[in-house]
Amino acid sequence: MSSNTSLTDLIGIEHNKLNFFQELQKNIEELTTINLQSEDQRREIAAILDGVTDVMMVLSENLEIISVNHVFEELFPGINPIGKTCYSLFRNVDKPCPECPAFRAISTNSVCKETAIFRVDSRNLQFDMVASPLKHPDLTENRILIFKRDVTLEKEYQAKFYQAEKMATIGVLAAGVAHEINNPMAAVAGFAEGIQRRLARLDESVPDDLADDLHDYTDTILKECSRCQDIVKTLLSFSRPVAADFLPVDINQVAKDTLRLLDHQLRKNKDINLTTELTTPIHHVHGDEAQLKQVILNLMTNAVDAAGDSGEIKLQTFTEGDNVGLRVCDSGCGIPPENIDLLFEPFFTTKSVGHGIGIGLSTCYNIVKDHNGEIVVDSTPEEGSCFTVLLPIK
Amino acid sequence: MQITKFAIPEVIFGNGSIKFLASCAQRLGAKRVFLVSDKGLESCGWVQQVMDLLAEAKLECIYFNDLTANPRDTQVHRGAELYHETNADVIIGLGGGSPIDAAKGIATIVSNGGKVSDYEGANRISHPLPPMIFIPTTAGSGSDVSQYAIISDKEREVKMAIISRSLVPNISIIDPELLVTKSRKLILASAVDALAHAIESYISRLASPFTEPQALNAIKLIAENLEAAANHKDPEALTQLAIASTAAGMSFSNAGLGVGHALAHALGGRYDVMHGMALPILLPSVMRFNIPSCKLKIATIARTINGASLCSIDEQAEQVCDSLQKMFEDLGVPMRLRDLVPDEADLEEICKVAVNDACAVPNPREANWQDLLGICKEAW
Repeated sequence: MSSNTSLTDLIGIEHNKLNFFQELQKNIEELTTINLQSEDQRREIAAILDGVTDVMMVLSENLEIISVNHVFEELFPGINPIGKTCYSLFRNVDKPCPECPAFRAISTNSVCKETAIFRVDSRNLQFDMVASPLKHPDLTENRILIFKRDVTLEKEYQAKFYQAEKMATIGVLAAGVAHEINNPMAAVAGFAEGIQRRLARLDESVPDDLADDLHDYTDTILKECSRCQDIVKTLLSFSRPVAADFLPVDINQVAKDTLRLLDHQLRKNKDINLTTELTTPIHHVHGDEAQLKQVILNLMTNAVDAAGDSGEIKLQTFTEGDNVGLRVCDSGCGIPPENIDLLFEPFFTTKSVGHGIGIGLSTCYNIVKDHNGEIVVDSTPEEGSCFTVLLPIK
Repeated sequence: MQITKFAIPEVIFGNGSIKFLASCAQRLGAKRVFLVSDKGLESCGWVQQVMDLLAEAKLECIYFNDLTANPRDTQVHRGAELYHETNADVIIGLGGGSPIDAAKGIATIVSNGGKVSDYEGANRISHPLPPMIFIPTTAGSGSDVSQYAIISDKEREVKMAIISRSLVPNISIIDPELLVTKSRKLILASAVDALAHAIESYISRLASPFTEPQALNAIKLIAENLEAAANHKDPEALTQLAIASTAAGMSFSNAGLGVGHALAHALGGRYDVMHGMALPILLPSVMRFNIPSCKLKIATIARTINGASLCSIDEQAEQVCDSLQKMFEDLGVPMRLRDLVPDEADLEEICKVAVNDACAVPNPREANWQDLLGICKEAW
């Protein structure tokens, strides 16, 4: 109140007309400080974002890319994504993908996840996508933050693990079955041999034609018993642990063993004409017998499927330079050129649902790669395909 | 000797000087000018002239005229709102004391926020004000060069004095040609206000060698030219009054006023009387009350008005009160307080308000409310 006013107040020596200039200077000072602070914050946030190893994108509500992180640039060098829609960039289509998690994220205002396969650089990569809505009262429109993590390798390992687990289960089963069958088989064989021994002493007392029949029957029983025992032995070899040490392996023996397993399947397709050309003698290769059996099994299964009801399948072994080779050819439908690159991708398959999950060839590829070998495919549509496995001689 | 200070704005003076308005505004960074004036000036055509000058320089103009004679805090708040809404920059005040004080009030609220009453008293303004240019159209208030703004608080029925160096405008453009359209009554009221400024600041306890010559010069010019200006609207006399008003403004702005203005503010707050009409009534009694404290100075005022005298100092001092009273009576100004105040019983309350007015502080003779009541009774 004015009652406090004194003469000194009126003179106001220490008071002067305040200028905007002062305020401006003060503002500039404050702004400089604030600017430095926000620059520090920006750098810190940038450092955090640079530490993120997933592809990160901010999308507008109509899925236009607003910003991306450096991982995007590493994955898609030389592409400027800003302003492009994500579906045109990743899928090369002109409308949003039906499974897009971004829409769900924005409509439910929650974090949505989805796994999808994208073709990048002529490779199929599998991505885990996480879409988070960016809704903020300060933002004029809603945005979506997308994380894409490349999980291709993880999925491959996962598939391999499933396969290994499956094989181990089969191995345990086979070992049990083999054990249980071996005993009755030994008894059957023993009794057949007993009949044959007694027949020798009864030669005089039984008619010749009956003795011939009994000889013939017991021979057949023994032969089939022996075959059963061989099958059982082959099954037992599958039950060995997957991580077996590499040992010298006779590829011809592996091929023969595998064919024996396929006997039943081949007999089912009666019109398939299987020829084998096994070069003997052949160098041993250093490897895991069970795994190599799986390679041949897979290639043969594919060949049988490709050949259809009638056709020819040829299994060869050969020596070529420093390699031992194994080739499976079929006279089947062949592979379209556009699929050649995809053959060894996990989960790529042309088989109908329930007939394959697309893991066989990728498993083959991994096994051959582990043996320092290579696998080559040569195919003509409607004429047939040849898969050649080359393994180094050691 | 007391340390003093002398603060005045840039003053542009002369017939036709209003034409520099736009360039002055531009130099202060104007793009959208906030013009404060009132309806009386609209009818004289001055508002339109200012607007034309601004338009010619392609300056946008926001016009605010929602003002009464004694500007009110509510009007000031409305003006500040409009300033913000329209994103205006430089404030131009065109008019007598009312629009200019309102412009000061608006500028204060614009950059300091709050209410006008928050800044009542001295040195309460803490933030810089927007650039201000004032164009006085009366030769009296001196508000265009002063650090004072008087705003009415209708609720408390008081006139608040806001005193701050920040209220000194950046530029004051004083064009005497703007005075010719004024009525006789307004010319008189303004000149008496200026005379009161000059006399009160001359005898003020804060008077300094920088304010005293200004005050004496103003007293002399008003005494010599008032009659010709009021009765004949003599342009030369009006120009001299404009000079006198500005000089008085410079003086009182730095030396302060006295109980005369304190009482006038209290009366104005209560009865909305014309400021310039209360002063001639009070001035002779106020001077008489002050004689014991500044006899020599009052004698000097007497010689300035009446010329050299052979009388004693005591006689001269007494004479000046009479000659002032006679001068006002000759000009037909009402000279009794009873003409303004309906009830004598109100005086006590008015004096209790006036004793708290910041203007009363530098009065040469200490005055309590009973002293002020004595002055009022004498003028009744």
